Amino acid sequence: MDKILFFIFISITTILYSQNIDDCNSSKNSNRVVVAGGSIAEIMYFLNLQNKIVGVDVTSVFPSDLQKFPSIGYVRNLSTEGILSLQPTLVIGEDDMGPPHIIKQLKAAKIDLEIVPEEQTAEGILKKIYCVAKILGLDDIKSLSKYQEKDREVKNLNKLKQNNLKGKIKIMLVLSMKGTSPVVAGKGTSGNAFIKMIGAENIFNSVEGWKPVTLESIIKEDPDFIIIPNREMHANSNTEELIENPFFSNTTAGKNGSFILVDGMAILGFGPRTISSALEIAIEINKK
Amino acid sequence: MQSLLNYGLNKKQLYLIFFLVILFLSLVFAISIGSFETPFWKLVNGNLDELQKKVLLQIRLPRVVLAAFVGASLAFSGSCLQGLFRNPLADPGLIGVSSGAALGAASSIVLSNFLPTYLGLFLLPSFAILGSFLVIIVLFIITKGFGYNGVTYMLLAGIAINAISGVGIGVLTYISDDVELRGLTFWTMGSFGSASWKLILPAIIIIFFTILFTLKISRKLDLVQLGEIEASRLGVDIKKLKKNIIFSSAIIVGVSVSLTGMIGFVGLIVPHMVRLIIGVNHKYLLQGSIFFGAFLMVLADLISRIIISPAELPVGLITSAIGAPFFLWLIFNMKKT
Repeated sequence: MDKILFFIFISITTILYSQNIDDCNSSKNSNRVVVAGGSIAEIMYFLNLQNKIVGVDVTSVFPSDLQKFPSIGYVRNLSTEGILSLQPTLVIGEDDMGPPHIIKQLKAAKIDLEIVPEEQTAEGILKKIYCVAKILGLDDIKSLSKYQEKDREVKNLNKLKQNNLKGKIKIMLVLSMKGTSPVVAGKGTSGNAFIKMIGAENIFNSVEGWKPVTLESIIKEDPDFIIIPNREMHANSNTEELIENPFFSNTTAGKNGSFILVDGMAILGFGPRTISSALEIAIEINKK
Repeated sequence: MQSLLNYGLNKKQLYLIFFLVILFLSLVFAISIGSFETPFWKLVNGNLDELQKKVLLQIRLPRVVLAAFVGASLAFSGSCLQGLFRNPLADPGLIGVSSGAALGAASSIVLSNFLPTYLGLFLLPSFAILGSFLVIIVLFIITKGFGYNGVTYMLLAGIAINAISGVGIGVLTYISDDVELRGLTFWTMGSFGSASWKLILPAIIIIFFTILFTLKISRKLDLVQLGEIEASRLGVDIKKLKKNIIFSSAIIVGVSVSLTGMIGFVGLIVPHMVRLIIGVNHKYLLQGSIFFGAFLMVLADLISRIIISPAELPVGLITSAIGAPFFLWLIFNMKKT
């Protein structure tokens, strides 16, 4: 019983802790930064603050320069010792950083830890950029021309989004299709959030999470556009082979050749380049 | 029944006919049901519209056919291996073929950026088959040609090879990113979703002829049940039989796993079920396993397609969900007797 109570106590304190540190406060010392989360590392490059980075997690792959930094492991499964060995003055993490006890241990080690709130919308990405900038002591970010450009992109995107919403454009976002039924974005996924961002409808909104779906149901739902990561195309040789596939060729998307090839990490990472990708794709489906 | 028996059919043959009938029924069911509606009476009348026909012929039919063939291969090789090793726990997974195939498939999923593209759809299956053959060759070498007195040795070697493949898959899992990881996870739970005629035609031809060729060993397997030494005194070339069974199992299981991923328990439980119904005579046991394995797999795939439609429940989960409780029941029953 005591153990259970203790466990509950620990869980509650962890939850309280993690909520406490959600604010975007300027860090006292941001000379040595460890980053846990691909979008944050991308934002640091975007803000030209990469010289502060001393370590990144394995999801930080864009720009490819990031791979030269020591790796602290996978963002949801970090180890405290690995992080501490890099002697950081600041750790910035995405909200899925974990496991939870890491956060407590880092706090106990008196490391400045900031977790950037995640909101998977275009505005959310702007907020994230703003937050990271603030943590790193870049106060007047809004006057930065790069930021203003992103801000303009978001405004354009939102205009297109309103327009697209009227057209009720049906989209299927494929994650992978190697040896199984295609695994697609369902409700609650970053892929679904991306589809919302461009003002389209996800045909698999009834499915929860990333799930394989039957080929028959794809024909039944009949997508207007199919978004596929480049890499899947690589595995499937070429577009022609894909179009030949009966489940593609019998949909509106297949008949019109409406495949949108994307860099999967760009659209699902919710960093600065997600805004640009969303804008591009919103324009493409708007032509319909 | 009595009247049928009078027609010169024995009880076992009747059971085989019964298995064939339920297999046929399951095929009819599986072909007429799916998330895309194809009304049954229209199907019978041939009144389907163009799109319905395409869904039926190009998507559903190859999938059902593949399920039947894979079910048959797994159950057949399970029966052969259990007979050969005289061990009720033997299944295709035990000799390491499935895990070798899994290692090959996992490499192609995780390392696809570094692999040539000209194989296209055949990339993953080719790697899986390569993996399973690698395992069999290693096994062949370390057991000195599946040696004469080496059943235990062989099984232990299989376990060790399984463990080594497990390490390989573990490493690949570790270095894979989120997307690859998801692909890998779903692949290891099994799916008939990638079935298209182009992919499955070579597979079903290979499976069909391998099984046909291997079926004639049933009499020898009966003799092996007396013990390897007794069987060889009765004129069975044990070494040749072992090679025969292990290689044919490797072929059909390797091909099956390469197209469908890991589908557990069918190779283990179907032989037991059939043995309970039809008895230990391998002539009927092997044929019964083929039909019953196909029947069970077609049914499991049907459930996987429709139970949470439009999403698909990995078929390996369904077979394991049925198989594991049955396996427990089997263990408890063995204790009693």
